[in-house]
Amino acid sequence: MFSKPQLHLASIFLKIFFRDRQSLFFSLLVPLIFTGVFLFSENEPPKIKLGLVNQSSSALAKDFVEMVNNEPLFELTIGTEDSLKIELIDGNQTAILIVPQSFDYLADVAKLRLMLDASQVRQIGAIQDALNTSLLSIEREIRNIEPMFQLSLEDVKARPQRYIDFLLPGILAYMLMNLCIAGSGFNIVEYRRRGILKRLFVTPIQPKDFIISIVLARMLIVLIQISVILALAINLLNIQVMGGLPSLYGMVILGTFIFLCIGFFLGSLAKTQESIRPIVALVTFPQLILSGIFFPITSLPTIIQPIANTLPLSVLASGLRDIANDGISLFTINGTLIGVLLWIFISFLLATQFFKWKKVAS
Amino acid sequence: MIKATDLLKKYPDPSNLGCMFNAVDGINLNISEGIIFGLLGPNGAGKTTTLEMLEGLNDIDHGEVIIDQMNIKDHPYEIKKIIGVQLQSNEYFDRLNLKELITLFGSLYSKTIDAELLLAKVKLDDKANALPDDLSGGQKQRFSIACALVNNPKVLFLDEPTTGLDPQAKRNLWDLVIDLNNEGMTIVITTHNMEEAQYLCQEIAIMDKGKIIAQDSPENLISKFANKLTTSSDSGTLEDVFLNLTGYELRD
Repeated sequence: MFSKPQLHLASIFLKIFFRDRQSLFFSLLVPLIFTGVFLFSENEPPKIKLGLVNQSSSALAKDFVEMVNNEPLFELTIGTEDSLKIELIDGNQTAILIVPQSFDYLADVAKLRLMLDASQVRQIGAIQDALNTSLLSIEREIRNIEPMFQLSLEDVKARPQRYIDFLLPGILAYMLMNLCIAGSGFNIVEYRRRGILKRLFVTPIQPKDFIISIVLARMLIVLIQISVILALAINLLNIQVMGGLPSLYGMVILGTFIFLCIGFFLGSLAKTQESIRPIVALVTFPQLILSGIFFPITSLPTIIQPIANTLPLSVLASGLRDIANDGISLFTINGTLIGVLLWIFISFLLATQFFKWKKVAS
Repeated sequence: MIKATDLLKKYPDPSNLGCMFNAVDGINLNISEGIIFGLLGPNGAGKTTTLEMLEGLNDIDHGEVIIDQMNIKDHPYEIKKIIGVQLQSNEYFDRLNLKELITLFGSLYSKTIDAELLLAKVKLDDKANALPDDLSGGQKQRFSIACALVNNPKVLFLDEPTTGLDPQAKRNLWDLVIDLNNEGMTIVITTHNMEEAQYLCQEIAIMDKGKIIAQDSPENLISKFANKLTTSSDSGTLEDVFLNLTGYELRD
């Protein structure tokens, strides 16, 4: 299937990679840090830091403060309005709740004031909701009323989906993109600048031999790196790959091919080592934002969504997510798979059409 | 062995934007088997471009190259199998030692070779496990030639192999070239070192501004063109020939 020169060249690329201690170290460090971050932040949602000013001396206010203090959602600091305001401005408090003097059973409606720093609080709505819910349950308890309704959340997919379950396939896709583009694009420019490509093409090997050997070597490296992350994620973060590992690896291999080809294409566009960086950034950075890695594409403005959905990283991320989260097999024909196949075709065309074989030297 | 007819290569003119100039301008070469052939000329004369067209590294805009009865346009990969090329730049993959690099180049010709034997041939057997960056200038050039020998080529192209070497390293390399020639290898060498050309070559072509302005054996060139002596020698040298033919103005 592969010729001897192709296999030998691929083994050389592997050898070069594994002898580069520094890149080896960092390529293993990144997944470790990534897993570590989620391992330690998985426990419970962070408490909302709430400052409380009690201006009332009523028994009700005393009870109320006691109950707010017992509410697990809040980390409560009791103090004066002035001192808490300073803390709020410094960002040490998320909000300040002020219990007014008139807060008593006798008053009609006890008005509570909530002070927020709008520039620091991005989820005002969420905090307000949380406060309202807490206040309501506190009120019920004080008035001794049983709640009339209870809302229980049920996922239609009938399994617990955490943020990490959504995030991991996206992160895998993003890492894959970076590893591949660095592995082909950056290398090509460097090999060309140093005359190494020219030296290679003095011998009877053909361009396709060179491409195949780099793809083989990089594929193996990427699979090892992805395996490290997956092993950690499955064992430490209890990630489940519903569609099975073979399908997931299949999708990883297809993605590797797409991004290696895009890397070859960018490497032929860039004439110098300096210009490859901005060119690569231009391609990868918008995809990081638009491809639904950290939040679903549906949360983007409607106009952008169709474009975002067609980006290669989006296609790959949703392909991996289909397999990992929704238990779809690699061979299930859906929009994502068609997108992946289209990108394989486009990227291969770009790589082969733009690679200037004769101009192997700068 | 090598026959080039009416070779032409156009490049964009750096001093005249939008225009092209002929870097190689209708060159004819006929290099017989088993000789050391020298391509001489000032900087920018088109020596390397000519060499690259002969080696199949550069597109030929017009004309044709026949090596060992094969046209390079029709059989580029067949020709690459029977030639060895030493380039001016000597960079290799990082973190591979000489032995591994030789083995790699051998494998690109689908050949398994005894790397240590080949390194011994260029007197680098004690450096088999060293990296190319750790070699001296002369050692680097010898290694570069060793890489060009992995396929036991019929024709060896050397592009300014002794530039920047000290006299000992230069002599050492000349001996290697002569040894290879004695084994029957045809060698094409570019240089602007006249002493080198006179010492090594049986036939010389002098190039200037993309054209060949003289082609003969060193002795005949000297008797024909060294009428105006620039050096202290009585009979004239190849340097006299070179300066008389290409003029005295600076070529940078």
